[in-house]
Amino acid sequence: MEKIISSIDLNSQIQWVIAIILSILVIATTTFWIWNKLKPSQLVDEMTLRTKSWWGMCFIFLFASTVNPIITYIGLAFLSFFTLREVYTLLKLRDSDRSTLLICYLSIPIQYYFAYQGWYTMFLIFIPVFMFVIIPFLLVLSGDTKDIIRSMCILPTSLMLGVFGISHLALLISFPEMNEGNISGKALLLFLIFITEANDIMQFVFGKIFGRHKILPKVSPNKTWEGFIGGVISTTIIGYFMGFLTPLNSWQLILISLCIAVLGFMGDAIISAVKRDFGVKDMGDSIPGHGGFLDRIDSLSTTSSPFFHLIYFMVIV
Amino acid sequence: MKKLTLIIIYTIFWRNFLKIIIGLKYYNQQVLRKKKQFILIANHNSHMDTMAIMSSMPSRYIHRIHPVAAEDFFGGSRFKKILMRYMVNATLIPRKRANSDEDIDPIEVMSNLLKKGRSIIIYPEGSRGVPGVMTDFKKGIGYLIKQNPTVDVIPVYLDGLHKTLPKGKNLILPYNCRIIFGNVINFDSFDLKDIINTAEKAIHKIKSLVE
Repeated sequence: MEKIISSIDLNSQIQWVIAIILSILVIATTTFWIWNKLKPSQLVDEMTLRTKSWWGMCFIFLFASTVNPIITYIGLAFLSFFTLREVYTLLKLRDSDRSTLLICYLSIPIQYYFAYQGWYTMFLIFIPVFMFVIIPFLLVLSGDTKDIIRSMCILPTSLMLGVFGISHLALLISFPEMNEGNISGKALLLFLIFITEANDIMQFVFGKIFGRHKILPKVSPNKTWEGFIGGVISTTIIGYFMGFLTPLNSWQLILISLCIAVLGFMGDAIISAVKRDFGVKDMGDSIPGHGGFLDRIDSLSTTSSPFFHLIYFMVIV
Repeated sequence: MKKLTLIIIYTIFWRNFLKIIIGLKYYNQQVLRKKKQFILIANHNSHMDTMAIMSSMPSRYIHRIHPVAAEDFFGGSRFKKILMRYMVNATLIPRKRANSDEDIDPIEVMSNLLKKGRSIIIYPEGSRGVPGVMTDFKKGIGYLIKQNPTVDVIPVYLDGLHKTLPKGKNLILPYNCRIIFGNVINFDSFDLKDIINTAEKAIHKIKSLVE
């Protein structure tokens, strides 16, 4: 009986989040619509386009994360796949790397299978330990040593960014201890994504409104101290109030939101620098207004794995 | 029956495979809508080119669209010939006219198809060439358009497909790539050189627009 009550309780929490997300979208859409009527500008057009894409992304994400766990795994695996494809399209890799690339793509289903089974150790070591050795060796097998060090470094890193980080989202819903008693992996997943994306938006908003002093002038002119500090503070506040999704107490919530905010900024900055090196503005054009997949999930790829382990230390150990 | 096979292969299998796994994006595809007959000209770098173009064809007319392929390369064996005929809907033409004993004029083969109301896909560069580099058009396309001035000519630019399956490899890998349809070419004069120039410019124009 108690279990049934707790599960209903959790469902109602998730329903709350869905309601919050939808109302934010409705408010944003109407705000930009009115703004566009009053004072049309390029910024508003871009914001309208971005909000439209947010609608699509939210619906796909909410569908994938709430309907059936299997769909969540497949959806996340495809997210990793699209991200890798985007990176490999921009990277000028050698022709002899092609067979190794296939192994990189094949590591996605394997990694998500470990996540699905909840094999914690295998999941943790597969990419950083196994693939870290297998990929360079396969490159050596192809026999082409010219510029081999570049491929040796790039391919494992791309897997860490695109697969290892994102797959922690899948591990959240399968990890046995994360789905016991009053802890729900699904709710934690919602919390993490909500906070990470809120952090992205808040840093953007504060940067646009108050931005003066550039934090990384050579890498990304859009990132300012004002945006960073405003984003971190507001994300921590949002995280504190979204705490009903997690089993954490208030100081843990503040700490974890703070970490997500700072790590999200780091991920964003890393991908910005990578884009600088590629000489492109966006990684792709898959999401209108946002750019490519990696432009959107850049912060998620760095926040998800630390989030998982922080929760692990705070709650389970 | 042939139409059904082609729809299953291209409209259902290849289109989804290319879209989801390979990451192909279709642009300006609506040019083809309501067109019963056309000559499609495209740049050629990979065997995937034909798959990409065929997968973007409207399924209603797909059995009436024939990619043109070189007989010496694709018609090597009986099995290959049947495969090309039924799976790709291709028309084989002899590439080296001097070598063949029979006196088949490749232009005539294509012209006859057009006269029957069929559409054709042709790669005016003649062969796949160097990856990512466009070479000059062969004269064949000029003769063909000169003989059939009423048929619409649609230029297509294939961007990045040579990375999914480069020449000489047989592993298809995902890469984000694009297929961009241009508008119907207007020919001012039907002089052989002008036709080739205009056609070449049309594809280069799409290329410069997307880069």
